[in-house]
Amino acid sequence: MKKTIFVVALSIAGFIAVWRFEPAAMGTTTTTTTTPPSASAPSTSTGSSSTSVTVPGSAQSSEFGTVQVQVTFSGSQITDVQLLQQPDSGRGIDALPQLRQEALQAQSAHIDTVSGATQTSESYIRSLQAALDAKGS
Amino acid sequence: MTTHVEQVMGLPVSLDLRDDGDFSAAVTDAFGWLHEVDARFSPYKVDSEVSRYDRGELAAGDLSGDLDEVLDLCAYYEHLSGGAFSARLPGRALDPCAVVKGWAVQRAADRLHAAGARRFCLNAGGDVVTAGEPEPGRPWRVGVRHPEQPQSVCAVVTSRNGAVATSAAYERGQHILDGRTGRPATGLLSVTIVTEDLTNADALATAAFALGEEGIEWAAGQPGCEVLIIDAARRVHRSPGLDAA
Repeated sequence: MKKTIFVVALSIAGFIAVWRFEPAAMGTTTTTTTTPPSASAPSTSTGSSSTSVTVPGSAQSSEFGTVQVQVTFSGSQITDVQLLQQPDSGRGIDALPQLRQEALQAQSAHIDTVSGATQTSESYIRSLQAALDAKGS
Repeated sequence: MTTHVEQVMGLPVSLDLRDDGDFSAAVTDAFGWLHEVDARFSPYKVDSEVSRYDRGELAAGDLSGDLDEVLDLCAYYEHLSGGAFSARLPGRALDPCAVVKGWAVQRAADRLHAAGARRFCLNAGGDVVTAGEPEPGRPWRVGVRHPEQPQSVCAVVTSRNGAVATSAAYERGQHILDGRTGRPATGLLSVTIVTEDLTNADALATAAFALGEEGIEWAAGQPGCEVLIIDAARRVHRSPGLDAA
């Protein structure tokens, strides 16, 4: 955690330096190397090499809005479930760098399941089941 | 390889079982148990054992061993959290849900294990029991839902034989009340507990969330627990032993 804050502080310091010196100051470009690697490469996600298939579930409407999931299979295994459509969350996006940094790192990781999901609605599960059925595992 | 998804106790419950062989009877048994728990322990069902006990129709001596155990667990965590965790808030019906869910899902996992399953992941509305490895040589990788972006994860933790539970106040989730004040707890955005069994993980996550900021140190100090907590200022607190991926 300390390290994260330090790196983020460095990035901000680097940014300020770039911003202050404007284009002319050549030397300041080296400060961009303090940007954490995770922020620059968030897209190395699951992308399994062999037989990755993506199947959308049916769109299910609920009292809160429409829910639709998309399931990615590698062979017969679920490697990802994405929400294609979801009700508005209505929460702010003013996350401080600490959380944002962690999140960026996490996005690039393969996961088997998710803790803390509260997709309790019937529509979520129906859409998920539809995707499973369509795949016919 | 068996996958199964079902809506039980108001939650989507999914099982990803990687053992070879036919586990259909064990899966039916495990999910049957969860339906039984829903019928017996839901405070929302007027004829459940919990509701009948709460209305005084059942004496303490007439309770099933299971409900005795659940009520003992509620009392234990209430004491452990200095009253922040409470199954009986003033003016409200007895609600042992916060203990029942983790306890019941851990029991379901124990049933699968007793039937010979050794490699599976059971996820009940975001509370997870893992066993063994999904593939030889690697642990289960459990994403922790981002407290403010439902489609994202904010961290990944790993687990073999263990449990991961997260308590948070998501955009439309139930509020977790602080039993000391009866008001919604606001100090934290998300609490994830990684420990040996889901009964403990789930109850500790709820209790730490109810405690607010003091729940950070409190949860990290519980024996055998690793924590990942995001506070209201969006700072991420990790215990040093957390098996982050």
